[in-house]
Amino acid sequence: MRPAAAGLQSGVRNMPLSEVYAVASKDIVFESFDGEAVVLDLSNGKYFGFSDSGSKVWQALSSGVGTEALIRSAVGAAMVSADALEAFIARLVELGLLAPSGATPLPSSDDLPAALAAASEPLDVSVHDDLADLITVDPIHEVEEPLGWPAVKQVS
Amino acid sequence: MPRVTLETLPDYARFLLAAAESAAGQFPVQRAVRLPGLDLTAHLDAGALADAMDQAFIGTNGDRLDSRQCHIFIGHPGIGDMPVPASWGDAHFTEHGFAQKLAEAGLRGHHFHDLDFWQIYDPGRRVGVQLMRSADAFPPWEQGAPLRAVLHWEYAARGMRLAHAGTLGIDGKGVLLAGAGGAGKSGTVVAGLLNGLDSVGDDYVLIDLENGVTARPLFSILKQDPKGFARLGLERRLGTDRPLNWQGKHTFHIDEIAPRPVPATLDIVMLMVPHIGDGEASSIVPMSRKDAMIALASSGIAQMPGERESGFRFFSDLTRLLPCYRLFLGTRPEEIAGTIADFLARAPDEAECDHAGP
Repeated sequence: MRPAAAGLQSGVRNMPLSEVYAVASKDIVFESFDGEAVVLDLSNGKYFGFSDSGSKVWQALSSGVGTEALIRSAVGAAMVSADALEAFIARLVELGLLAPSGATPLPSSDDLPAALAAASEPLDVSVHDDLADLITVDPIHEVEEPLGWPAVKQVS
Repeated sequence: MPRVTLETLPDYARFLLAAAESAAGQFPVQRAVRLPGLDLTAHLDAGALADAMDQAFIGTNGDRLDSRQCHIFIGHPGIGDMPVPASWGDAHFTEHGFAQKLAEAGLRGHHFHDLDFWQIYDPGRRVGVQLMRSADAFPPWEQGAPLRAVLHWEYAARGMRLAHAGTLGIDGKGVLLAGAGGAGKSGTVVAGLLNGLDSVGDDYVLIDLENGVTARPLFSILKQDPKGFARLGLERRLGTDRPLNWQGKHTFHIDEIAPRPVPATLDIVMLMVPHIGDGEASSIVPMSRKDAMIALASSGIAQMPGERESGFRFFSDLTRLLPCYRLFLGTRPEEIAGTIADFLARAPDEAECDHAGP
């Protein structure tokens, strides 16, 4: 499965940031592995893998940490500039993982600045969606073979 | 021709189950297979699927898992009063929405639109139906792994999981080989079997996490494309006179190449993600659990209808229990097998170390 290009350019890049975000729906589920996040969108079978800095930001935002608090926590973090953070949040919204929330923003944890400063990878989320929902019509896989099917019915 | 919508789906599923059970005495043949913790009886027509039921499974003789009885009716309108399968209506169809709607009714199911092929399962009663337009109107993959979806639903309901993974082991200790189709799982499994290692499957295996990670066999059929078949020396060993399957691949049974009877279990002690290497020798290097989880779970969950969130949680727990490695495959089967065997023999002590290689 190839990760899709996961640049941070976003069509919603210039949208104003919300004060606080929440996981976009109950279909967005996530787990953490040694501090690195993997997110699954149950509705379409897409997986999202986060870089180390991206994982910290995801964990903060998905738990209700306010945007301002997050930006303050990132001051001094080489991998997390304010511009990159803004673009990253926009990307997560665009991917349908986060949505603006009306909840009261939570403060960041005391250890978040150090965690962000220690990150060695830029903010990034890779999308793993080569087969996603298509593959369920071919349980024995290898739909990458050019057989001309399966043709899943997706009537909208 | 009736058409099913999301709203009518639960009723249609119950209708199919009732129709199959009403026609129970009219199914021409029965096939019984004893799987880990499951005595499955299929009621069906004579023909290719009945043959597949005879040939595609690895039966178990005694298992620590409590055994349950399960009845599956594989029918078509030529059997008793079995109905003509309905089509899906002109409504938005998503696998997740379909599965959710059935789950709300306590049922599981799958629909393959091209053939109006329906599979419905009631995990509470362990009764299922597979309805086809005719005796041979089933997707071609069904012969290699019959009732795979039903087994997925049944085992998931009991906290276990069919994993889309291969296995290799020695002395009861094993490695789980994860990755999408084409990653090299099957070739690695065959290389191991031909060189003295054990396996409980190359494609789908049953996993439980009750006491560590345990893999059990379900399906007996292995596959290789003609190139791999030749590279692994299987042309000489098995001949080339058998018909290729629907994917243009050679199929054969694990016991045709296994060095000894397939073990009932393997205690899985590590997760490996094979890659086609660019050198002659194989090597094994650590990989992050995040990447291993994506390799293991993404194809495994996507290929199994329904139970997505439970699968995500299950494979997350599994991944956290195991050290994870990338396996860069060399060019010689015996060297690949030797590399894995040596690495397994050093587990768990050295497997926890930072790096290993030939």
